[in-house]
Amino acid sequence: MILLEVNNLQKSFDGSAVLKNISFSMEPGQVLAIIGSSGSGKTTLLRCLNFLETPDAGEIIVKGQKLLGGASEEQIRKNRLHFGLVFQNFNLFPQYTALENITLAPSLLGLGSKQELRDNAMRLLEQVGLRQKADFYPYQLSGGQQQRIAIARALALRPEVLCFDEPTSALDPELTGEVLRVIRGLKNKDNTMIVVTHEMEFARSVADVVIYMADGVIEEMGTPEEVFEHPRSEKTKAFLRGAASVL
Amino acid sequence: MTFLQQLPIVFGALNVGFLQTLKLFGITLVGALPLGLIIAFGSMSRFRPLSIVTRFFVWIIRGTPLMIQLLIIFYFPSMALGQPIWGSGENGRFAASAAAFIINYACYFSEIYRGGIQSIPVGQLEAGQVLGMTRGQIFVRIMLLQVIKRIVPPVSNEIITLVKDTALARIIALQEIIWAGTAFLKGSQGISGQVWPLFFTALYYLVFSGALTLLFGWVEKRLDYFRG
Repeated sequence: MILLEVNNLQKSFDGSAVLKNISFSMEPGQVLAIIGSSGSGKTTLLRCLNFLETPDAGEIIVKGQKLLGGASEEQIRKNRLHFGLVFQNFNLFPQYTALENITLAPSLLGLGSKQELRDNAMRLLEQVGLRQKADFYPYQLSGGQQQRIAIARALALRPEVLCFDEPTSALDPELTGEVLRVIRGLKNKDNTMIVVTHEMEFARSVADVVIYMADGVIEEMGTPEEVFEHPRSEKTKAFLRGAASVL
Repeated sequence: MTFLQQLPIVFGALNVGFLQTLKLFGITLVGALPLGLIIAFGSMSRFRPLSIVTRFFVWIIRGTPLMIQLLIIFYFPSMALGQPIWGSGENGRFAASAAAFIINYACYFSEIYRGGIQSIPVGQLEAGQVLGMTRGQIFVRIMLLQVIKRIVPPVSNEIITLVKDTALARIIALQEIIWAGTAFLKGSQGISGQVWPLFFTALYYLVFSGALTLLFGWVEKRLDYFRG
C-alpha cells in the first residue's frame, strides 16, 4: 500500500531550479531519510510537502488523494493537516507553556474536549519524556527539550506523515541524542516519517529508505545499505567520503 | 485680590481645562490605536498600490507639523466648501482637534506596529501554518501577544508624548489646560497679567505622565512571564 506519492515535483526560485522532477513514494510506517549537502533542495522539498512553498509543477498524493491544485487558502490549510513539520529551530510559541503549545492547534480545530486534548497532550509529553515540564515556558527549557515539545506538538494533530527538517542541527552536540532517541521511538510506533538530516549514523540505523539529494535531483535512493555501502553515483560516493572524513 | 484668593479661581479654571486635555487624550488613543493597526496592515500589504499609497500618506503626516495639520483640518473644509463642517464653538474645535490627533498619532502607531509585527521571526507564522491555523488565528493567538510585548516601550513613549502634544490644540483655540492658564495672562475672572497659573499647568502634566509611567511599568511586568 502506498501512503504518499510524490510525482515530478518542481520548484524554482527566481529562475534557478531548486527541485527538478522529484518523485518517490512511501509506505505506511516507513522512515525516509533525506541526506545531501546544503542547498541541494532537501528543505525546499519538505516545505513543499507542508505547503509552505507552492510547487511549480508535480503532484503530491496522500492515500490516493491528489493534494495539489487546491489554490484556495482553505484548501491549502486542509492539505497541510496531512503532514506535520518539526523545524530546525523548534519555533515553539514563547507565550504558551509546553502543554499549551501542544493543545493550541487541536483545540482551534475542535478535535476534542478540553479534558481530552489535555490528556492526550500529557500522553504525548510522557512519550517524549517531558511530562514533568508540562507547565514550563519554552525559555525555561533546553534546546533538546524544546525540540521534543515541538515533536509532541506536531504529533498532537496525528499527521499521516511527520516531517523533520534537520531536527538536531540547532542543538549542542550533547543534546542531539535525546531528540534522536525520541524520533527512533516514534518509528517503533509505526509513524511514517521523513527526516532531513546531517546525522549519517542516525539515517543509516533508523531509515527504511535513504534519499541522497544533490542539485535538486534525487541522485540516489535505496535502502540504507544500498546507499551507504554500495552507492552507484559518483556524487553520492564523494558526498559520503566527505561526510565520513568529518566524523 | 490676594494670592490665596486667586488660588481657588485658578485651580477651578485649570481643572476645567485639564478635563478637556484628558478628553482629547482619551479620544485620540481610542481612535488612533486601532486606526494605526489598519494603517500598518495597509503599509505591509502585498497589494503594491495600497502599500504605496499608505506609506505616502504616513510620510505626509509624519513629515509635517501637527500644528499645521490642526489648522488645515479645522479651516480647510470651510474654505473649500464655503461652510464649516466641524460645528460651532468648543464642540466643533474639539471634533477637529480629535480628527487631527487621531490621524497623526495613528500614523506614528502604525510604524511602531509594523516594526513590531515584522520583528517576529517568520518561523512563528510557519509553525502556525503547518498546524493548520487560519491567518486570523495565527495573528490573534500567536503573533499579537508577542507583538504587544515588543511594542509596549515605544508605544508608551508615544503616549506620554501625546499627553503634552494635546497643548497644540490651542492653535485652534481649544480650551485645554494651557489655554486656561494663558487666560490669566490676558485677564479672566478678575485676574490678569499673571504667569504663574501657566507654570502651574506643568504639574498637571507631570502627575498624569507619572501615573501613565506606572501603568506601563505594570503592563511590562505582566508580560514578563515569557521571553521572545
